[in-house]
Amino acid sequence: MTENTETILSIKDLEKTYPNGVRALKKVSFEVKKGEFLVIIGLSGSGKSTLLRCLNRLHDPTGGEVLFEGKDIAKVQGEEIRNVRKHMAMIFQHFNLIPRHSVISNVLMGRLGYVSTIKALFGKFSDKDRSEAKRYLDLVGIGAKAHIRADQLSGGQQQRVAIARALTQEPKILLADEPVASLDPATCHTVMDYLQKVNRELGITIICNLHFLSLVRQYATRVIALKDGEIVYEGSPKEIDNAWFEKIYGAGAKEVHVN
Amino acid sequence: MTTKYVFKRTIFDSISFAYIVSILLVAILTPSEDSMLAMDRNFAIFGALLVAGIGVSLALGRMGAVTLGHTIFAPAHKKNHEDTRNTFLRLTTWHLLLTLALTIVVGVNQTKFSIYELTDPDGFAGAVRLFKGLSNPNFAIFPMAVVKIIETFFIAFMATLLAIPVAFVVSFFCAKNIMRSPGAFAIYASLRTLLNITRSVESLIWAIIFSVWVGIGPFAGMLALWLHSVASLTKHFSEITEAVNEGPIEGIRATGAGFLQTIWYAIVPQVVLPFVAFTIDRWDINVRMATVIGLVGGGGIGTMLIKYQGQALWPEVGCIIVVIAVVVWLMDTASAHLREALK
Repeated sequence: MTENTETILSIKDLEKTYPNGVRALKKVSFEVKKGEFLVIIGLSGSGKSTLLRCLNRLHDPTGGEVLFEGKDIAKVQGEEIRNVRKHMAMIFQHFNLIPRHSVISNVLMGRLGYVSTIKALFGKFSDKDRSEAKRYLDLVGIGAKAHIRADQLSGGQQQRVAIARALTQEPKILLADEPVASLDPATCHTVMDYLQKVNRELGITIICNLHFLSLVRQYATRVIALKDGEIVYEGSPKEIDNAWFEKIYGAGAKEVHVN
Repeated sequence: MTTKYVFKRTIFDSISFAYIVSILLVAILTPSEDSMLAMDRNFAIFGALLVAGIGVSLALGRMGAVTLGHTIFAPAHKKNHEDTRNTFLRLTTWHLLLTLALTIVVGVNQTKFSIYELTDPDGFAGAVRLFKGLSNPNFAIFPMAVVKIIETFFIAFMATLLAIPVAFVVSFFCAKNIMRSPGAFAIYASLRTLLNITRSVESLIWAIIFSVWVGIGPFAGMLALWLHSVASLTKHFSEITEAVNEGPIEGIRATGAGFLQTIWYAIVPQVVLPFVAFTIDRWDINVRMATVIGLVGGGGIGTMLIKYQGQALWPEVGCIIVVIAVVVWLMDTASAHLREALK
């Protein structure tokens, strides 16, 4: 991997206060370099999911700036939000596929940001879109299951379909919100390996929320730790020792390993 | 939260108090029909009783007594220091028993309930005559009944079919999880209110209105059932839409999909089967309603029914009832099987 210092995303004093008064993010600032595999760790409720959703504007930040390739996207509206999401794909803990649709149809939905509404309503995707969808399905190793209904697949396979859907968006950044939290340990590594492949071979920047430190050490190029909506650690995964661990997860916490 | 429960409790106790006292007043004073109809004064009395009831409820609450309203509306954590005495020593028990007893007395009075009329030999003989007629159907009118039941069937079919597209589109505007912004919420609230009013007027009454508008006949009946179906299907459809899994919606929005694309790809696949099931159910209900909508000028077999019933031609009525029963039973069975298959 070549050393790249170009900044793709720059977050400045990002704030999110929910209507019920909960302050989920408190002046969060950090930078993301192109080609990074950035992992965000922290307890449930520390603001990790909120942070990712403020980046692709599934949530509206209540303050601060998000500079995506130099342009502030924290307050853009309408068509511009769709544009942001097109270039910042996302995968989720519960995969969020459409269960009744086929695998290939789910992957094609990654093109919804590019096709007109009328074409999308009639399912008219171009041949190029279809061949791309197939190519990305092959990339995550489930090209053979293209015509099976998505809800017939195992959890790990569904997450790989979700990765393929994200890739057909031809994104610059891939946001992953706890991508392996509802998978068993073995499947967990398969999915993380595919994310690493996407990062290394396609050069897509990845920002990933994770729970397990062992996975963090194995896959992350850099780590940010959130606690109560604030950044408490930023640096290399190798530098997280027991003292840091207790600071992030609270005294008395024990590390569990995923093998 | 706490104040909300006290408010509900007080309102309940107050209505209950005014209800009991006004029944007792009527029983004791036995007012004439004229004074029963003096609405201004009676409303004033009832209003005063409601106010008195609020006072009674608050006073009992302050004394630490557990009222019926408290038992019903108090949240679980407030019920800790509840009345632990024997059931028959509690205020709540006596309140409930008194209300029930008074309501039964008023009910018997209002429905002119009479064992004497029920066992009157002349009346009973009349009923037996009628049943004999009904159980010897005159199948001479069978061909006409078949023609009319076909008309009935298609009244129900068209009403359901034409209600589907309207209900489908409108239901998304009536779903809270789609109409999130304040402006959208105003549309949501006004549509819901309009549909609730439409639904609270029975289709028989809509048929009366439409029979004046478009003339007596099947078209009026179809329109009446259509309107009621739109309101009812929209309610069911929007409730299904409100219960969909949010995950796929988030998944599709995250691809950069627009509003319509999100509805079409993330919501429609989740709701289409329950929509079909409810539509089949509505069709079944419509067939049943279409058999009686003729009683008020809505066409179909009901028109025949009211004609022969008016002339007391019971064997003819019997034939019509047989035809209706068979068709309704068939529809009921078919719809049950179809809905089962869709699960």
